[in-house]
Amino acid sequence: MMKQEPTSRKKTKKESLSREEQQKQLEFQQEAVIHLNSLYNYALHMTMNPDDAEDLVQETYLKAYRFFNSFERGTNCKAWLFKILKNNYINRFRKNSREPGKVDYDLIKDFYHSIKDTRSDTTETESDYFHSLLHEEVYQALLSLPEEFREVIQLCDIEGFTYEEIANMVESPIGTVRSRLYRGRKLLRMQLEEYAKKYGFNTDNGQ
Amino acid sequence: MSAAVDSELTLQEKQEFLAHLSTCKECNEEFAEAKKTKMIIKERIVQFKAPQSLINSIMHLTGISAGEQEETLLFE
Repeated sequence: MMKQEPTSRKKTKKESLSREEQQKQLEFQQEAVIHLNSLYNYALHMTMNPDDAEDLVQETYLKAYRFFNSFERGTNCKAWLFKILKNNYINRFRKNSREPGKVDYDLIKDFYHSIKDTRSDTTETESDYFHSLLHEEVYQALLSLPEEFREVIQLCDIEGFTYEEIANMVESPIGTVRSRLYRGRKLLRMQLEEYAKKYGFNTDNGQ
Repeated sequence: MSAAVDSELTLQEKQEFLAHLSTCKECNEEFAEAKKTKMIIKERIVQFKAPQSLINSIMHLTGISAGEQEETLLFE
């Protein structure tokens, strides 16, 4: 099926499209598709299920592409995509599934291990065992937070969105985002200190 | 406090905050802790790679051919 001449194939395909459509594709690729990994991770954290995450991301891109004209140029495209993904998630999963704030620890552990082996960005060696352990503990601590806290921490600390962007995404005032971050981090810190003590880490310095 | 950690303070707020930190040991410690928490999350959370099947289907969706994808697509 696959031809060995990608350049000629490309050309024929492009010629059959209108200039406008070509432009849109190119722009969509540069603006939106580059955030695929971030979106996938966000979806994973929300659904805790690789298949659901994949569906969610796919649906998001489908919608985003269809409505790409309504994306306000010059604003943060990643934030726009996250918002679409979140809306999709709410429509699709939250309505009929888990109660918010309830976290199944075994599920987290299984989930973490099932994807860690195959899809991790980092290659971990034996000597990294301690580090990876901490990895997992941080992840678990984060997932154990009530969703409203976890979400803002994720958007802020992992994805690097501004308060304004987060406020828009979670549809709450900036003040609320601020206080959720504050309380969420406090909870998280308490959790992490527990782990740190358990594994003999000194919490007073970076290591 | 969160806003200070996330560099979301206005210039004036920042000056006031720093002035306060220099006199308040408690806030100083809390600020250091809060910054550390943020750093830990940032560094320790594993980012997974999107599976190839997903990448392919997004490419297909947006009409970008597979050959093109390898040359030009750069993930952050």
